[in-house]
Amino acid sequence: MPAWLDDLLWTYQNLVYALGINGLLALSMYVVLAVGQLSLGQAAFMGLGAYSSALMTLKLGLPFAAVLPLSVVAPVAFALAVGGPTLRLAGVYLAIATIGLGEVLRAVYLNVDLFGGALGLSGIPERATAAMIYGLLGLAVLGLWLIGRSGIGRAMEAMREDETAAAVMGVPVRRYKMGALLASATLAGLAGCLSAHVSSFIGPNEYGFEPAVTILSYALLGGIGTPLAPVVGGWVLTLLPELLRGVSDIRLVLNGVIIVLAVLFLPNGLLALRMKRIGARTAA
Amino acid sequence: MLRRSLLAAAVSLAMAPAAFAQGGAPISVGAVEILSGPNAAYGTAIRAGLELALEEVNAQGVGGRKIALTVEDSAGNKDQAINAARKLIGRDKVVAVIGPTLSNEMFAVGPVVNERKIPIIGTSTTAVGITEIGPYVFRTSLPESDVIPVTLARAKARGVKTIALMYANDDAFSKSGFDTMKAAAEKAGLSILAIESFGSKDTDFSAQLTKIKSLKPDAVGISALVEPVSGVLLQARQLGFGPETLFVGGNGSNSPKLGEIAGPAADGLIVGSPWFVGKDDPANQAFVAKFHAKYGRDPDQFAAQAYDCMHILADAIGRAGAPEPAKIRDALLATKHDGVMGPFTFTPGRDPASTEGVVVLAMQNGKFGIAPE
Repeated sequence: MPAWLDDLLWTYQNLVYALGINGLLALSMYVVLAVGQLSLGQAAFMGLGAYSSALMTLKLGLPFAAVLPLSVVAPVAFALAVGGPTLRLAGVYLAIATIGLGEVLRAVYLNVDLFGGALGLSGIPERATAAMIYGLLGLAVLGLWLIGRSGIGRAMEAMREDETAAAVMGVPVRRYKMGALLASATLAGLAGCLSAHVSSFIGPNEYGFEPAVTILSYALLGGIGTPLAPVVGGWVLTLLPELLRGVSDIRLVLNGVIIVLAVLFLPNGLLALRMKRIGARTAA
Repeated sequence: MLRRSLLAAAVSLAMAPAAFAQGGAPISVGAVEILSGPNAAYGTAIRAGLELALEEVNAQGVGGRKIALTVEDSAGNKDQAINAARKLIGRDKVVAVIGPTLSNEMFAVGPVVNERKIPIIGTSTTAVGITEIGPYVFRTSLPESDVIPVTLARAKARGVKTIALMYANDDAFSKSGFDTMKAAAEKAGLSILAIESFGSKDTDFSAQLTKIKSLKPDAVGISALVEPVSGVLLQARQLGFGPETLFVGGNGSNSPKLGEIAGPAADGLIVGSPWFVGKDDPANQAFVAKFHAKYGRDPDQFAAQAYDCMHILADAIGRAGAPEPAKIRDALLATKHDGVMGPFTFTPGRDPASTEGVVVLAMQNGKFGIAPE
């Protein structure tokens, strides 16, 4: 490999990782929004995945091939435990409850010595590769696309438009909501594990309220018509601050202006497409 | 002449890293600081200090060449800090990196830069374990473990035998400062009567303070950022803590904002500082005057630390003989510098060696001054 190409790849390595990881996070937001649930626990799930996997690597010395699949255990168990009571809530109440859960976890990381307190965990070896990150992202997009095209996808859309009507028509609303929450926890947990194993340091404030809102904005900017849309939204929001490096002093201002304009003029997201469904034509 | 210098530049590019060429291309140095977002005040102060020092360095030149400084914004975000450092090294080909601003950012950026064998120097990272990241990680900021013992020694000299400690447990800076304060208090033979924690955004500290008051400690040590420290002091005065209790601050209390927020409630608090605007040695006076002339305001601790760091790095590049990262690293280790913070050398562990420059300050009428003995 020529030296300049090597340098180029090295320079943008972290950005390439971040794009893939934020894509997974955008999908984890997408799956709950797709069933009409404003659940903002993704940052908390990500934190559980990151902390549990980092501890498995640092304290138990497990190989990454075991750590990556095991990293979904803690977030999924947490989702199962809190899913029952919180899924009775809807709309803004669900959002508030899930933000609260994230804050509870943040307080746990801060006060339990095992998690390193405010100093976080440092010295995590770099184990994740771009192939793993993009492989998982590709699989997730494909899987969600196939589900979206199937009858389940139609039921999900029905729930999103009118939950009561969907329930009356025989859609098992609670089961789908729980399924979406577990899928969301799985995706965010994997993203957390991957991000911990590319950046060598994690701290409690990376999984609080602010990242929860950032993840929501990926899906809002991209749109939720197809699984690809939130991923594109996440990519745009991750790339913007780096593309705007040239205008150092007004960087964040410009970043904000672009987002506001996008939301104003593209209310359905950057990719406002809808999926073609199997049997859509015959049904019409 | 022009052709020759172009040729020299081309040659030095082609054979980079080459030896110094008279009038050659500028030497690239990078910095990663917080220039936007809530902590931008720190990064902009650091940038001001760096740029002032850079003007002085370039007026003389380093081995006949100038230094070109690129400052990248991290926005206080771990990922952006890594991206910025990678851009500086991979694209701008810097030979050394200054920063990043926060210890948490350094824990993420340090390993990446160290892996590339590029020296990285923190000017404001005070947490424990920074230089243990790797052999290319330096810092010119005195860690709290060097400053707090000096402050506590002063407290002891004033007859303090018992102390109660308070700290904010939700940010790395305050927690690390508390760990240091506790260890230093034990080492100084002070008996610790109580340890109380709170959140950085808390506004009510009466439960913790009431408990501490009932134990009647000679001193109360506080490790937190300036806003919660001000809150603690204001409430302590309401609860009847008088001048018989000595308040001892960590580095977070070392900010003029303390007097602005807490006013007379902060009077009597002592804090150790690696630098003080009113230090009367000629080097410091000249620095303050030049800073004031260029920016129209007084420098703070962060600007002073950055100013010294730029001079230390330029000096090391000059002594290295060639702008090569490995040689600069070796030259840095042999640093002997007299800056605005006092005499400066590195320990073999790449931390500042001397605490000679530490001054103990006391709050009086809402302003810091050098503490009376």
